Amino acid sequence: MRPRYLSVLALLFTLLLTGVGCRNGNSIPGASVVEAQQSSVAEATVPLPNRDGSFRFAVLGDFGTGERVQYQLAEQMAALHKKFKYDFVMLVGDNLYGSERPQDFQKKFELPYKPLLDAGVKFYASLGNHDAREQRYYKPFNMEGQLYYTFNPKPDIRFFALESTYPVPEQIQWVEKELKASTSDWKIVFFHHPLYSSGDRHGSDVRLRDVLEPLFLKYNVSIVLTGHDHFYERVKPQKGIAYFVVGSGGQLRAGNIDRQSGLTAKGFDTDLAFMAAEIVGDQMYFNAISRTGQIVDSGVLTRRKPTS
Amino acid sequence: MSATRTGVVSLAVTVALAVPACRRDTGVPASPPATSESPANAPATKRVVGPLSPEDAQALATMNDRLKAYIEEHQKLERSLPAVPKEATPLQIDQNQRALEKLVRATRSAAKPGDLFTPEARPVIKRLLATVFGGPDGKQLKSSIMDENPVGIKLAVNSRYPDSVPLSTIPPEVLQTLPKLPDELEYRFIGDRLVLFDVHAHVIADFIEDALPK
Repeated sequence: MRPRYLSVLALLFTLLLTGVGCRNGNSIPGASVVEAQQSSVAEATVPLPNRDGSFRFAVLGDFGTGERVQYQLAEQMAALHKKFKYDFVMLVGDNLYGSERPQDFQKKFELPYKPLLDAGVKFYASLGNHDAREQRYYKPFNMEGQLYYTFNPKPDIRFFALESTYPVPEQIQWVEKELKASTSDWKIVFFHHPLYSSGDRHGSDVRLRDVLEPLFLKYNVSIVLTGHDHFYERVKPQKGIAYFVVGSGGQLRAGNIDRQSGLTAKGFDTDLAFMAAEIVGDQMYFNAISRTGQIVDSGVLTRRKPTS
Repeated sequence: MSATRTGVVSLAVTVALAVPACRRDTGVPASPPATSESPANAPATKRVVGPLSPEDAQALATMNDRLKAYIEEHQKLERSLPAVPKEATPLQIDQNQRALEKLVRATRSAAKPGDLFTPEARPVIKRLLATVFGGPDGKQLKSSIMDENPVGIKLAVNSRYPDSVPLSTIPPEVLQTLPKLPDELEYRFIGDRLVLFDVHAHVIADFIEDALPK
């Protein structure tokens, strides 16, 4: 009797945490605008709906240090997965810092994320400036030998992984061709160098932005996920596109967000964090979750739609 | 109208020349085309450097035969090794890379600066880079290259690319300006040196000192 009672309590607690059954009360209709959450952690957050048939994924960047804090954030990712079954993790580069010997792949990737790997979660990597190009052959990164690639986990959702350290013209032509050809409702691009960032250390890569942003606008990209700056930042929508910097996976650069940049919708630079997201129809719900399990940002955005 | 037609023709030429994306070319490569001007065609990128003089184009073309010979040898060595499976373990990746590194370095044991970046091509490349970095965006371009790019690292031709040095970002403008490379090679900067990086073997194939203008 007692165990059953506890199970019911646990179930209720889980439902409460994951927001199952909640209505989409915080959605902003019509425009592809991210809900601004300038508030503190303690204020209300937008729960992930955890809805049947939805598409769920996580985002992680700049993580492969092998340090204790990386493992602690990985534990939070595993804890979330127990109650929110995401199937994919998008890696926005700098997957391994320092040496890349076989044992480093274990220490900096396979061991910290073992619970997720064991549960069948698939990681899709893009490469950062600290990553050896050979990582593209590493099976758990699912790059299949390519430096840039695209995949669609569901017919209405397509991801594009780019290589932003060495953006050869062939790649730019390739991404234009693929974006143009895609009929998916959701086009989500991920790579390492942020087109928009308030980082004091790096900041926005304006050169890359000149090249990529026109394509993202022209072909209705809704979300851009990047890293490089070692914090979490949700940038205010730029020309209707939502930009996230999720370089907070293992090596924090504390206090590095320039609060005067005017770009930040929500920033978190006091601890490590990853992002979890769920796409339900035309909306994407997201949470940024810290190393201590706090939801440090949340919201819901609506995908961009063709104007014609 | 005329601009549109030019754009279409340029795009067609680029597509015809470009190695298909996301595919590793395992055949013997054709010699890279001589660079006579920055591609005017790359969509959404800017043309940076105008047409080169015939002398400069000729100077850059001297790299082509060297590059072709290098790649032929590289691919021959790579074919002598077991192919890296698409689903490789870290051990397989590491073993393959280091085995290729060993073979390349042994084959080029007498390599010296200037073997690939030929003496004729070097001043032209430095001049092209000076033009790019001397432009209105030069400071920003240089800043993106020098981001996490250490200075004072000792380099040697035909040595392993230092494991401790992150790969420098190469802005699109720079890639447009420099002669196109086969897939096995990339341009990188280590400090102010322009490095020809053998990607698969993780080896510095050649480099130019003081390539980044002060």
